[in-house]
Amino acid sequence: MPRQKSIRAPTTASLPNNLRIPSTTPSLVKALGKLSRQSLLDLVFQWLDDRNVKFFPPFLESDEADTESPDDEGLRPYPAERTLNDVRNAYQELQFRKGGKREVIDRILDGDWRHGITLRQLAMVDIRYLDDHPSSFRWTALELTRIGVSHDTSHTDISACMPRVHASTFLTTLQHQISPLVKAHFYLSRSSTLPLTFLRIFVTHSPYQNPRQAPETLTDSARVMYVAFPDSCPYIYTSLAPTTAATGAKPSAASAVATDARGLQRIVRDAVPKALSLPHQRYTLKTTSLTAKSLQALLTLRGSGRSNKAAGTFSIFAGAVIEGSPLDPRPSNTVSPEEHHKQSKPHSNNDLDSEKENKSSNAEKETDSSTTPQNPKLRRRDNFGLDPRAAKKRKMAVNTRFGTSGTSLSSAPLDRLDARLLDSPNPPPLSDADEDTSAGDGSRPTLSLTFSGTDVIAGIRKLAELGIVNAERMPAWMTGEEAVSVTVVKKGRVVRDSG
Amino acid sequence: MNLNDPATQVEEGLDSEISSIRREIRKLQRRRRFLSSSILSSTSLQKRFSRPNQAPELSLSNLNEDISPIVRAAGSHAQSNHHRIAFSTTTFPFKDPSPILNNETDGSKNLLGARIDICVRNGRFTKPYYLLLQKLRADGYNHGNVRVKVHRHTIPAFIPVDRLEHVFLPGTLSRVGAGDGGGTEEAQPPIKGKQGRTQKQDLRGFIREVRRQLVAWHMRLDAVHYLHDQIGVIRRGVDAYPDEEEDGPWERDIPIDTDHDSGVGEIRLKRNEFGIIMLSPTALEASYIRVEFEDGQVGRFKISNSGLVERAVVIGDKGRDKVLEAALTGGDKKVLSVLSRLKGALVGMDSNPSSLASE
Repeated sequence: MPRQKSIRAPTTASLPNNLRIPSTTPSLVKALGKLSRQSLLDLVFQWLDDRNVKFFPPFLESDEADTESPDDEGLRPYPAERTLNDVRNAYQELQFRKGGKREVIDRILDGDWRHGITLRQLAMVDIRYLDDHPSSFRWTALELTRIGVSHDTSHTDISACMPRVHASTFLTTLQHQISPLVKAHFYLSRSSTLPLTFLRIFVTHSPYQNPRQAPETLTDSARVMYVAFPDSCPYIYTSLAPTTAATGAKPSAASAVATDARGLQRIVRDAVPKALSLPHQRYTLKTTSLTAKSLQALLTLRGSGRSNKAAGTFSIFAGAVIEGSPLDPRPSNTVSPEEHHKQSKPHSNNDLDSEKENKSSNAEKETDSSTTPQNPKLRRRDNFGLDPRAAKKRKMAVNTRFGTSGTSLSSAPLDRLDARLLDSPNPPPLSDADEDTSAGDGSRPTLSLTFSGTDVIAGIRKLAELGIVNAERMPAWMTGEEAVSVTVVKKGRVVRDSG
Repeated sequence: MNLNDPATQVEEGLDSEISSIRREIRKLQRRRRFLSSSILSSTSLQKRFSRPNQAPELSLSNLNEDISPIVRAAGSHAQSNHHRIAFSTTTFPFKDPSPILNNETDGSKNLLGARIDICVRNGRFTKPYYLLLQKLRADGYNHGNVRVKVHRHTIPAFIPVDRLEHVFLPGTLSRVGAGDGGGTEEAQPPIKGKQGRTQKQDLRGFIREVRRQLVAWHMRLDAVHYLHDQIGVIRRGVDAYPDEEEDGPWERDIPIDTDHDSGVGEIRLKRNEFGIIMLSPTALEASYIRVEFEDGQVGRFKISNSGLVERAVVIGDKGRDKVLEAALTGGDKKVLSVLSRLKGALVGMDSNPSSLASE
């Protein structure tokens, strides 16, 4: 039924937008069911919009005559509508009526798009889900760097720094890159809420289009990967496959043969910088040790704004909360940071969300250390919290160390922070400023700390406020100052190359 | 709950009244603080307090004791504000609270902060931009000169601070090799004058270049705002829409700052004589401006750092429109006068009978 009459020869073109997945495919129900009823209806209206409807034509009565025998007309729960407007009205009616989303899905699959859901529609569903649930994936930030630019750059091309993505050119080049290996479907879309452009890539395992491909493979979410291009900065974000998130650093040994979904994704990821490259201006991707669920966190720490290189203590500068504009006559220590922050920002985000985050992340801290039961810096000092003066001092210290990070003013929730401490845990790291005390003990145990929760930095801040973490003596990486989610720490300082 | 119940209605009315009064109080308090600090930092008051002996009516000791720290704070604040306004780039000390010492630096936690204030089109200043510089450990090979490196900064990512640092503050990026490689370089006689030059750090030049690029960026954004104002802009939900223009794409307003939500609301261009339905920068750095015309032609032009239109392309169904391209890049090339040049080109086209056929 979904087969078109044209002949499909093996080709290296990308999967067409209008390739239809039979609507009887059971996994389609699941794919559509991810969305809420309202989102589904919004999407349907988008499909039925005058400008789009030629890409997603619904099944009308006129189609019925040549495709189906009239016998099973009575079996169909949703008779085909006569005109496009009737279809629109039917969904308008659903919009006004309360009900489950199941009836909308049924109407889409059994009624108006019974001839199949196109790949593009499916891609739109996925992107919509991404917009509705911005932390549904784990994202890794990668930096685009020029290859072959020697360090003695001339003064002339200092301003040329980031690749510009021209959608159709980029997709054509990307297609050229991967077409010998895999077949893919691309969908490029602008995020409605964040300054990002999403690229959804769906890959199949063969460079040829096999007409007998099982329809299930076309809806397999493991074969989908996302690349997000933030505006005006030399970073891109890629979504991790759910399986690789657990194993972390070593996917490279997995397979040289590109048959599994992960291998396919790697092919695509390798092709992205090549597709962005221009003649005499080649790019490569470099890891930046930042992986997080929240796209907002990535945008804050690897985005186009001020906060890339100023996290933790220095977040007061990124948010410019320490002083206002030079036209402000009020001395800056009499103005609250919130007011400074609001100056150029008319819509301040509500504080409720972050307060909730703080509470929930408070207790979520786990340390998987094998050598010592607890980091000396994390030692509990319960009796400390009783003295009001000490509490005030501690509050001051927390404010200096953390700046605004972990509060409602900055929005960079890291859901996971891995730190490997190369220092010996025995002498407290503070006292071995004279570098040779640690050389004495022969064994070099390393300590791995993993913090996880909704917002790790806010959690550590809360611990510091409670006096469990000593705010004055804790190392800088605990304040999120390095803006990474995976670090290697040596002598209290973050070692840059974490390899 | 019955919404029509008179008691509930009265309650709601009172609630909203209370909240509006509270808002008013907060507003007035803020205003009072603003005014009082304005008075405190005013020149005449500052002068009076700086000469306490000549102001006998205020030299009651206890009053003066109480008031002088506040006045002094206001005075110094006003002075630093004057510096920030006048010089645009100012420095300040900052102490890194991190307890861990850095081996590469001179061991102190003191940082040199540079603050860049930029005044934009609406007469306000943007949030200041900061560069925090760290002094490097004084080794033998740098002849006692103070060397710095950028420790943290809040410059947006499209301004390549790393590369500027490499050019203007050499000897900082290759920190790893500097420890052992520095001595060998010192042993070699300087072959070319160029080598000697690149070894020297130019902090002023570095900050000047960073500031230049920041200012150029803000000027580009200002130019687009200016063009929008010239064409006329309808804000969604703020201005009333005239009925005759039903459909035109809404677009997000251009940001005034790096926060992506700082561009407030959505805007649409008014119907205009230029036939432009959309004019907006393609990305945050605003070096490319995209223009859409009513007749389906799409153009794009590049603004250089000095505010000139460097290149322009206008393309439609019938291929490139050289007349419009020439209009965009012609004349004095200034981006601010793009519209008047366009107007000239359109007038020229209308008078040309051959182009009438297209209408």
